[in-house]
Amino acid sequence: MSEKRLPNSLFGSWEVGLTIFMLILYAVGTYINPRFFGSSDALLAILRESSRFGIIAVGMSFVIVNRDLDLSVGSTVGLSAIVFSMIFAPTHFDLGPGTAIAICVVLGVAIGLINGVLVTWLQVPAFIATLAMLFIGRGLVLGLTGGKNIGYSVKAQDFAIFGLGEDNGLGFNNQIIVFAIVAILGALVLGKTRWGYETYATGGNALAAEYAGIRTNKVRIRAFVISSICATLAGILNVLQDKAVTSQYGQGVELIAIAAVIVGGASIFGGRGRVLGSCLGAILVVIIDKVLREGVPITRTIDIDGVEMKINAMAQLPPGAVPAFIGLILLLAVLIEPVVLRRNLIGRTWARLRGRPLPPKPDLGGVAIIGVQTRGPRVTPRSFEPGFFGRLALRRNTAAVMLAALLWLVGLWLRPDFWASIDNTFNLMLAFTEVAILAIGVTFVIANGDIDLSVGSVLALSGATAAFMMKNLGADPVVAVTVAFAAGTLAGMINGMLVVRFGLPAFVATLGMFYMARGIGAWLVAGRQLSGFPDGFNLTGRKLIELLRYWDIAPTSGLVFDIAAALSVQTLIMVVIAVIAGVVIAFTPIGLMLLAVGGNRRAAEYAGINTSRTRFWSLVFSAMCASLAGIIYIAYFRSFNPSAGQLRELDAIAAVIIGGGSIFGGYASIIGSIAGAVVIALIRALLSLQIIPGDGPAFVMPQHWVNVLLGLILIMAVLADIWFRQNRILSSVKDRLRGRRQVAEVPDG
Amino acid sequence: MDDDPGLKEIVPEARPAEGELLIDMRDICKSFGPVRALHNVNLRLAPGEILGIVGDNSAGKSTLMKILSGAYHRDSGEVLIEGQPTNFRSPHDSRERGIEMIYQDFALCGNMDVGQNIFLGRWPRRGPFLDRKRMYAESRAVLDRLKVDVNSVYQKVESLSGGRQQSVAIARAISFGPKLVILDEPTANLSVMATNRLLETMAELKRQNVAQIIISHRLTDIFEVGDKVMVLKRGENVGEFAVAETNEHEVLEAIVSGTPANA
Repeated sequence: MSEKRLPNSLFGSWEVGLTIFMLILYAVGTYINPRFFGSSDALLAILRESSRFGIIAVGMSFVIVNRDLDLSVGSTVGLSAIVFSMIFAPTHFDLGPGTAIAICVVLGVAIGLINGVLVTWLQVPAFIATLAMLFIGRGLVLGLTGGKNIGYSVKAQDFAIFGLGEDNGLGFNNQIIVFAIVAILGALVLGKTRWGYETYATGGNALAAEYAGIRTNKVRIRAFVISSICATLAGILNVLQDKAVTSQYGQGVELIAIAAVIVGGASIFGGRGRVLGSCLGAILVVIIDKVLREGVPITRTIDIDGVEMKINAMAQLPPGAVPAFIGLILLLAVLIEPVVLRRNLIGRTWARLRGRPLPPKPDLGGVAIIGVQTRGPRVTPRSFEPGFFGRLALRRNTAAVMLAALLWLVGLWLRPDFWASIDNTFNLMLAFTEVAILAIGVTFVIANGDIDLSVGSVLALSGATAAFMMKNLGADPVVAVTVAFAAGTLAGMINGMLVVRFGLPAFVATLGMFYMARGIGAWLVAGRQLSGFPDGFNLTGRKLIELLRYWDIAPTSGLVFDIAAALSVQTLIMVVIAVIAGVVIAFTPIGLMLLAVGGNRRAAEYAGINTSRTRFWSLVFSAMCASLAGIIYIAYFRSFNPSAGQLRELDAIAAVIIGGGSIFGGYASIIGSIAGAVVIALIRALLSLQIIPGDGPAFVMPQHWVNVLLGLILIMAVLADIWFRQNRILSSVKDRLRGRRQVAEVPDG
Repeated sequence: MDDDPGLKEIVPEARPAEGELLIDMRDICKSFGPVRALHNVNLRLAPGEILGIVGDNSAGKSTLMKILSGAYHRDSGEVLIEGQPTNFRSPHDSRERGIEMIYQDFALCGNMDVGQNIFLGRWPRRGPFLDRKRMYAESRAVLDRLKVDVNSVYQKVESLSGGRQQSVAIARAISFGPKLVILDEPTANLSVMATNRLLETMAELKRQNVAQIIISHRLTDIFEVGDKVMVLKRGENVGEFAVAETNEHEVLEAIVSGTPANA
């Protein structure tokens, strides 16, 4: 008897379901707006748009099946488009398209290699490494173009390769052919070759794969390189089509690509996913994106001088709001696995509907069940006779304090005339305050071994809410602040629910919130800049002296006056929060609870600590701090700008890591995080410092390059934490130099 | 969390009446879907006794212990503790009744120090704040009573060797004043030296009238300190021996070719 293949499981038919869903969605789109969706041109246009996202999704499939994540693809698209354009454009280097493409491919491979090496050999968590790479790439794009567009449509006419971006004789775009080729190649490699099987094995159980002789590091690096090359290809196709480039290229692409792969049936927990599903997912997400951006024709009745008039209008989402929905789709798609599949939701609901006895919930793996599973020994005896400096270094937050002092002295050395002045100190304090408030919240989350990528967006959400309440609804400042704070807190609760109830990794949940919160913020203010709030509200962002004057109790001179003139209200608020949070972490059981959860969640759970509650409230507290920072932001700037808080998540995470937190959890202190925030503020100030050399003109570093450096600093901080603090690389090198037996092993992941 | 946990007395106040069993598991059955993990398994343990459970992989050793500690729910059968029927819903319930489990990887937080780990989750408080002085003093006291050599209660657990980490885990379990300690593969990650120290610690616990169950592949260890050996095979009892009256060969034979009939 020959062995039969097993019938396809739910995920075997996942692609069929996707296709059906897509057809329904398309029909709805046609019904709503026949002009746009009804024609075959429209279908081809959607396929053309999907091609580039589909190509990226093919590469991303490899990374996600490996249980990694590549957030840098958007920047890679932008960077390759810019580099191609700069090399090709007559206004810049004016070389041939072949050279340009070759250089782009080299660049793409390099980005993939850097991602891969960071994630594997250097053990940086994938989301942190590629997030930093995302911001570095965006900074480079802005830095290289200076924000200007590059166009070369005239020169492009002489080169046949630009035909790849055009329609062919059969009436459809050549990019669709490229997409088809990449998809087939990808499907073959992932489904039918050893490379693919190695990828599934690595994602399913990296340790088992390693024991089976698969070099998992190589497999993971390979996936990152494939992903980067696909993104590069998409970037090049983009400029072949447009024959011009702006600094906006590739923005938000990573969100669509990840959403596409997850919607296409891949698991964020690795080991599952197919190229075909990813491609269909890409088309689906692009259709959704189009539907969302498409206006719905509506008839609005307005009343002019007693005459009712009907006018035709288009109801449309503001562009900034679209990511909110894509982020939501990403989260919903990610939730399918833990909620629908693992808890057998469909079977149980079906049984309940028919009144049959419910099939049992599958064993969800309570803490003690996991507990008895065999784990490799993790015994890493280390010598324990530190000297004076060793003891100082063992206090993990000392380095940040020393670094802060050092950086301040560097500033003083560079600009002795200006650095120590009251003005500069005041500005430094302001910059520091925002980072510090965010960092205090993130400290709790990181101590738990989680991460909060959404703080910058929650800042924007709460700022937008407060601005919207006061300007558009004319609300009282107190009400506005309360609602804004509640909105931010709610975002944190959603983060917490996703992580605790549904078991999503914190970086996925907060990545979804990263896009959602900012999108909703942009939606509220409809992309506009709102300003002109009540005076009493703005005082939250002023100096202390102005608040005292407002209450008519301001001193006119003396020490109190000086202090009140140099301190701002927000700094005071920050200090109060910092003191409370610091006492809680250092002197109450709550602090130890956080560290225990971060150190060994299973042990903590078994010891009776409610780890879910601890993690939930940490995420909520982090969001609360972020919303407070958002309220202070609009009070200080007297207006809300939709880009509020951008990159702030990087600053906050870097501050905590510099301050002695570990990205793997279990270590964090408020004093350290505050010192880390000082370091970040000082670095920002130093980088934007106008340097006046003895001869020649003054020099200021452009803001775009500052962002590149901040991304680098985050990576350096994480690397330094992993390699110097946790693996004691210095002492093991010292041991080796002294010819001693090397005992410190690298613990896995 | 208990407001004032403190340390319970290590030695139970009174020995139960002669012949009374500490643990009496009767006819335990447990299936996972179509897989029959345990079938009519019996386990009896007197106070202060050391029982070794041996058997091949998938014999049901861990499942039986998880049912005893409340991590799994049995399908049928009875669990009596000191003569009283119980129905644990989670490991926390079994802790209340004096059952402690020491996991193979010790379930400690490497980033915290010895004292903090011994009091994990029930750190003593004074008002809202931690009472560090008491925490470290009482941790020291437990370690001393256990006669283990852990130099400092301020040392981070990840800087300790495997054997000392295990001592901390045992100290932690003992600080609850348990009647039974279950050790899951206690010698799997230990060096020969550390294994010997562990066996001494177990003998010390026995002197303090704490019953112990060892799940182990290493018969030598069980023969060193154990009172009884119980053999499981494919989820069924296939033999029970008093250590004094048997030898390794007999036990091995039961593991390999035992049947429920001659149990």
